[in-house]
Amino acid sequence: MAEQLVVDRLTKTFGGIVALNGVELAFSAGELIGLIGPNGSGKTTLLNIVSGYYTADRGQITYENQPIAGTSPHKLARIGIGRSFQVTKVFRRLTVMENMLVSGLSDWSETRSQASERATAILEDLKLTRLRDERASNLSGGQLKLLEFARIMMLQPKLLLLDEPFGGVHPELKRFMYDCIRKWNAAGITIILISHDMGSIFELCRRVVTLSYGDIICDGTPEETRADKGVLEAYLGEHHASA
Amino acid sequence: MSQAALRSIIGAALLVAFVLLPFAGLSDYWTYTVTIGFYYALLAASWSLLVGYVGRISFAQAAMSGLGGYASALGVLEFGLPIGLGLVFAALIAGLVGYVLGWLTLRLHGAYLGLTTIAFGEILRISVTAEHWLTEGSLGLQVPPLIPGGSRLEYYYIFLAITVGCLAAMGLLLRSRIGLFFQSIREDEDGAASLGVAVTTWKCVAFAISSAFAGLAGGLYAHFVQLIAPSMMSLQEMGVILAMAVIGGFHNILYAALGGMLLQVLLEALREVEQWRLVVFGLVTILVLRFAPNGLFGMLSNIFVRRRNSDG
Repeated sequence: MAEQLVVDRLTKTFGGIVALNGVELAFSAGELIGLIGPNGSGKTTLLNIVSGYYTADRGQITYENQPIAGTSPHKLARIGIGRSFQVTKVFRRLTVMENMLVSGLSDWSETRSQASERATAILEDLKLTRLRDERASNLSGGQLKLLEFARIMMLQPKLLLLDEPFGGVHPELKRFMYDCIRKWNAAGITIILISHDMGSIFELCRRVVTLSYGDIICDGTPEETRADKGVLEAYLGEHHASA
Repeated sequence: MSQAALRSIIGAALLVAFVLLPFAGLSDYWTYTVTIGFYYALLAASWSLLVGYVGRISFAQAAMSGLGGYASALGVLEFGLPIGLGLVFAALIAGLVGYVLGWLTLRLHGAYLGLTTIAFGEILRISVTAEHWLTEGSLGLQVPPLIPGGSRLEYYYIFLAITVGCLAAMGLLLRSRIGLFFQSIREDEDGAASLGVAVTTWKCVAFAISSAFAGLAGGLYAHFVQLIAPSMMSLQEMGVILAMAVIGGFHNILYAALGGMLLQVLLEALREVEQWRLVVFGLVTILVLRFAPNGLFGMLSNIFVRRRNSDG
């Protein structure tokens, strides 16, 4: 498979804290990758750099053979890199449909009726149709997560970066989100998934990358990750891991 | 009935009312007062476009209006522009300066943004005051009239037409995809960028558009009163514009415009109590912010819609 996203010796520091320490990764088109690690390991920093919100101190990022380091987030969104946030960034004073249209109409070649048509289909897929004219501020936490998914899908992404999508979500809704993620991945979208919910990561992903203090300590299948001593140490501490 | 339908009906009714108002025995003095009210309505609406829809605060709106006034006046006096082109020049200059202000304040929020716009507005006002050779400084600059020998009534209808035209243009803009981008920026800049909205560009454009409308208002005002001074760019004047938009309802351009008209009329009606009227307006502004954050007209609209829905 062709490499869609390549992260080459990426380094990012905040003051004296090294968030990413020369990280090197390559993701192939169509992969579904879990990105795990304890708090402060650098997962969200990596996502923020790839999606243009942070600038790396050193290193390169290549997306579909084009260098993208330093490119602004809106341009990355337009070339197919969609992302969600740990805390949803839904526009609460706008209706569900208006939230969708912001995403669709940011592409100037798309008319309002075309965007509305696509939005209607995506809302249908995500079971949000009956809420289309509701203000987002009236939605539940789970519905907000779905709306965030829906808005990203309006971008027709080729690479999806999902940051803690299952946080505070009802188990039934979580199953539905799994189905969506699997369906999008089967349609060819590369997905990088950050979650503290190991069950979700191991159930969904065929490859799991583990970060600890800005370094990659494991890159393998779920089985390999589960058995890796370094991963256990990072999560449980050296004493408990060896016990 | 939806809020949008209600707003359309109110807008149409107000337009008819303002068209017919001079026939209802409006004196020359009050015709003049309401004409100035159109100026403030346009200014308050232009401020609300930036603050209410994009979430960017600016205290330089009065300065932008003054800049437009001087740009049009000097364009006509120094470069011999026809007054119509002078007004276009006013909007362009204010829009350009607004774009620069937007760019300078891109990364600023809250108090830092507000303070920077105050400083920017003061720089403009003091520059106009200091360049006496060009602007006549505090003495004031004589400005050619919009309509030589024009009656108060003619000015009234010209101001009404331009105000309605500008409000309609703002309304169309806000209903377009650009309006959606503006509101998405107000709600969450990072969220907007993640959906492909060019946040940096649209923040600057919003400042430019809002300032251009303020500049056009200032140009009109200059050619109406025919004498402008740097005091029209003062912070006190900015406070009046702010009070107008807040009391009317700054989350809606129509409500903000109505606030502008209402306060201008009340300011004149309460002239006998002199400076105390400003104290009263300050208090009303605080009370509205505390108890009716959508402004008086926003509150009335909410009450009306609730009653209609409960009756229906």
